Amino acid sequence: MAVLQLREALRAAMTEEMDRDPNVFLLGEEVAEYNGAYKVSQGMLDKYGPGRVIDTPISEAAFSGLAVGAATMGLRPIVEFMSWSFTWVCIDQIVNNAANVRYMSGGQYKVPVVFRGGNGIAHQLGATHSHRMESVYARIPGLITVCPSTPAEAKGLLKSAIRCDDPVIFLESEKMLNEKGEVPDDTNFTIPLGVANVERQGKDVTILSYGRPLQRVVRPAVEALVNDHQIDVELIDLRTLRPLDLHTIVESVKKTGRCVIVDEDWGYAGMGSGILYKIQKPCFDYLDAPIEYVHSDEIPVPFNHYLEEAMMPSVDRIVSAVKDVCYR
Amino acid sequence: MAVANELERKVKLSAPIPNGNGQPQGGGEVERQRLRTMLLIRRFEEKTYVQYTEPRTLPDGSKEMKIGGFCHLYSGQEAVAVGIAAIFKKGIDALVNGYRCHGHSLALGMSPRAAMAELFGRATGCSKGKGGSMHFFDKEVGNHGGHGIVGGHIPLGLGFAFAQKYKKNGGVTYCLFGDGAINQGTFNEALNMASLLKVPAVFMVENNGVAMGTQVERHSAERDLAKRALGYNMPTENVDGNDVDAVIAAMTKAAERGMRGEGPTFYSVNTYRFRGHSMSDAMKYRPKEEAEKAKLRDPILLYSEKLKSRGLVTQEQIEAMEAEVQSEVNQAVEQAEADPNPGLDERFDDILAETYPYQPK
Repeated sequence: MAVLQLREALRAAMTEEMDRDPNVFLLGEEVAEYNGAYKVSQGMLDKYGPGRVIDTPISEAAFSGLAVGAATMGLRPIVEFMSWSFTWVCIDQIVNNAANVRYMSGGQYKVPVVFRGGNGIAHQLGATHSHRMESVYARIPGLITVCPSTPAEAKGLLKSAIRCDDPVIFLESEKMLNEKGEVPDDTNFTIPLGVANVERQGKDVTILSYGRPLQRVVRPAVEALVNDHQIDVELIDLRTLRPLDLHTIVESVKKTGRCVIVDEDWGYAGMGSGILYKIQKPCFDYLDAPIEYVHSDEIPVPFNHYLEEAMMPSVDRIVSAVKDVCYR
Repeated sequence: MAVANELERKVKLSAPIPNGNGQPQGGGEVERQRLRTMLLIRRFEEKTYVQYTEPRTLPDGSKEMKIGGFCHLYSGQEAVAVGIAAIFKKGIDALVNGYRCHGHSLALGMSPRAAMAELFGRATGCSKGKGGSMHFFDKEVGNHGGHGIVGGHIPLGLGFAFAQKYKKNGGVTYCLFGDGAINQGTFNEALNMASLLKVPAVFMVENNGVAMGTQVERHSAERDLAKRALGYNMPTENVDGNDVDAVIAAMTKAAERGMRGEGPTFYSVNTYRFRGHSMSDAMKYRPKEEAEKAKLRDPILLYSEKLKSRGLVTQEQIEAMEAEVQSEVNQAVEQAEADPNPGLDERFDDILAETYPYQPK
């Protein structure tokens, strides 16, 4: 095990897979000469050359569509978006092409492409650069949507994503790129897509979360709940948002009888509300309280640091929601 | 890499590409075949028109539309599809186009039955009844569809050509779109990147003079559409899209340039659409005189006359071909009508290539 930053874990996943399979290549804005806008691809141009690490113009529609086309021809492209917020301009390529081509062609084509990059609220980037795109993509049949919450997960899930024959939406957070953690060196280490991780067993309440809010506020909240409030939390890291591991979630909620979902999306039609719809029926007879959903305030993301912090789920909001469902 | 080398040999530039110069070869068989394919496309489209407009009476007396949804016919533009098909290397080259895709698919060898069955939404259709008129695909030959979003497939064409260059397999991508699509951002983004990456792509606007119901002069600030590619450092020309030989010659030149690694080419292939944009379009925006004049340059008429004057085909042979393709198309309709709809459970198939521990239905 090595201790790596999340960006290094992503790089390790990409280089190991590029070493393994000559059909894997990387493209995006500034991934090559500049070594990556956030240095995720540092050194990769030197290692693989300009044929496999490719700088693109600021043309999201062209290069995301290029990747989809190349994938249907048997290559395995990795597309780096500097920010998932920029993909509003190329959703057509991802949804109408990457997700639909297989179905519209009656299963003739595979589309093994990975779209990856920074997702969600960062640090004072304002409304246009802070979108949480999971609910946009996880609702699309034909796409796999993945969101790591640790460097080890980033490596294991990204390697699986690159090997996957389906188009994968891989949501990182640029605020997490400096986070460090132990990451297996084994080049065969992967984490399966479509499987949630029960990070902590507990009997009183199930918390469901993923990605940066899990790392930023949920884990500290769980510590406070267990230590200060004697609430035995079961914590589930969803890892894959589509296909959702409903089995693990439902078994947990049946056991604890209480559930709180935490994410940074807007609440109405947000990622958590979709998950809530999926679990309320199979869990209804087992629930001792309505399911709570802790999400961001329904406002464009403000620039001001204090306003930005205030709009997001906090440790306090999570503790309060958990106490509510536990009637404490 | 051994495979790539083998393919490279197969398609090396010195290999003769059939009839790029309009000169007859092999006693005219190739030319007659092209004429026959044009006739097949025309008869297929005209039969489709009839099928679309005539509902079917079910045993319980209720009516059912045989062909639902949008349907965009290709009549009048046959020379473009047949011209490309003449030089297309099946399994190596790639073709992608917009929603007016029946003609290209037939020209590349799709059976009229698979095409008609798709229009009828049948399980035997080229896309198992899940694609419809706008989404004909045929992976084995390299037909990448039929795409319903105007301009949305142009970046895919860039991607196919990128893959051909990456694999060094000597393939070329023919990326077609209508004149409406050149006003999309994707057109500009994709041409720019294709030129930067020097991919073996032929981008061509099938300029039939009208984007849905908006004439070129009302939708493009520059009426000479070949000029729309001037900013992208690639050769750009106008091509007579009603003349099969002109299309073949142009495409051959562009394909050879692509295979030499010199990058993409742009053509405005100028033609005329005999039918409306879709089935609901009565073409009131086109003066009768204009349509009548266009019929004098019907690509099938022009090619028939050319072959006749060269002694490659007789009027009797043309009439025999007409009868043959008409019967082929009639048979396709009969088969499509008799073919089954996809099973209802099949609606969950073909979404993902892999299986996952939990997969929602």
